[in-house]
Amino acid sequence: MASTDTAMHVRPTPALATTYEGGDPAFLESITPLVDTIEVSPDAIAHLDGRGAHLRPDVLNEYDSVLSQVNLIAHGVGLSIGSFDHWEERYLRLLDELFARFELEWHSEHLACTVVADENLGTMIPLPRTEEALDLVCKRVRLIQERYRVPFLLEHVIQLLPEAPSQFTPAGFLNEITSRTGCGLILDAYNLECDSYNQGLDIPAFLGELDLAPARELHIAGGVQHGGFQLDIHSRRTSDSTLALALDLVARAPNLHVVTYELLKEAISVLGQDAICAELARIRKVIQQ
Amino acid sequence: MTELEIHQRGLLNLIKSRAVAPNDPYLRHVANSRELAMLREIALWWRAFQIETRCRFTSRLLKRLDLFRALVEAYFNNNATSPFVEDLSRDFLLSLSHHPAPLVRSVSQFERAFLETRAGSPEAFEVLWDRNPDILLRALEESTALPELEPRCVYRMQIARDLPQVFACSCEVVVNIP
Repeated sequence: MASTDTAMHVRPTPALATTYEGGDPAFLESITPLVDTIEVSPDAIAHLDGRGAHLRPDVLNEYDSVLSQVNLIAHGVGLSIGSFDHWEERYLRLLDELFARFELEWHSEHLACTVVADENLGTMIPLPRTEEALDLVCKRVRLIQERYRVPFLLEHVIQLLPEAPSQFTPAGFLNEITSRTGCGLILDAYNLECDSYNQGLDIPAFLGELDLAPARELHIAGGVQHGGFQLDIHSRRTSDSTLALALDLVARAPNLHVVTYELLKEAISVLGQDAICAELARIRKVIQQ
Repeated sequence: MTELEIHQRGLLNLIKSRAVAPNDPYLRHVANSRELAMLREIALWWRAFQIETRCRFTSRLLKRLDLFRALVEAYFNNNATSPFVEDLSRDFLLSLSHHPAPLVRSVSQFERAFLETRAGSPEAFEVLWDRNPDILLRALEESTALPELEPRCVYRMQIARDLPQVFACSCEVVVNIP
């Protein structure tokens, strides 16, 4: 009986995912055996033609070719869920195309704003943690949940600009969103480290306050320091400190299903396929501990 | 305007370096911060990277003339830049169509015509050059010396998907009337 109880409480190891943006079949072939899931960024595989923005068919075919070996999840950049006026409808049309073609376990976006008054910022800014922003985001999350009948996750982004006056703590804001809407969370270990370095975020206090139950996915990445800042440019292997934080989060978040190693397409040739494959194997080993 | 609108419009103006003096104390604080400078640097780096990748000849020429960074920055600050690289590169090239340097105008017009034609545009384009475009483009490609201006010649280049080689170019001698 005791052994049955023990077995019932053993959590499965989270699946391992990585990003792939198409156009490099040899790379896809080399990473596919090493991961369980591929994270697709609809924005990154879109192109414009005379009829507007569409997903590139050649890249969709590449995903198709590995479907027997991996699952797919989507992670957007350009929805701009927190814009005061409207979100980016073109992103949702790309997502519609992706859902029409594939079964996705879930999809996610950044809790951020990339477009203001129809102008692209060229970067991503976090939202002020106010009741007004909270209401806006919750309303839009519900619309997305109605539109796509799979879980929707939000990811906290780094706070590079000085903190705006707030009515909520960073964790409290996320808790309100998840409790009001039932949406999930992506925790990003590297983003937390950036916020700690750049803004003095107290990571243990943040995690102590955050409801970790909605966290389904964990992002890890490696970046660079530049001009006195730690930047969330996903161009390196993960540091030992990021992996240690990730391991802590894997242990504490009870519903974590996937750990995703994020890497910019532009960094593949810099790091090299062999190093990336070795990194995926290293991460797998760590999260299996 | 709501507080959120004031906040986001204010940050847009700051990120785009637009001369709007913010009334809001937070925006005033951001305006003078090193964090804003870093955010702008990152945003500009990405735009420059995208333009460099897609507009190869124009970027190389602008770098040789030491104009690249300033022109990308001016374009970023003064325009609603698109998140789609196809729009971004086309609009950047269009923004150079009134540049005072004829060579910048020619190369950017040529590159835009080439990208549009390759994307399937039925439009026919004409670009005028003040020197041999074949030698010029090769020089940009191979990082060798640019050909000299040919004051007695105008090269007239046609670019259209219906042309046998997509391009056709003829040299017209300019007759100086004494």
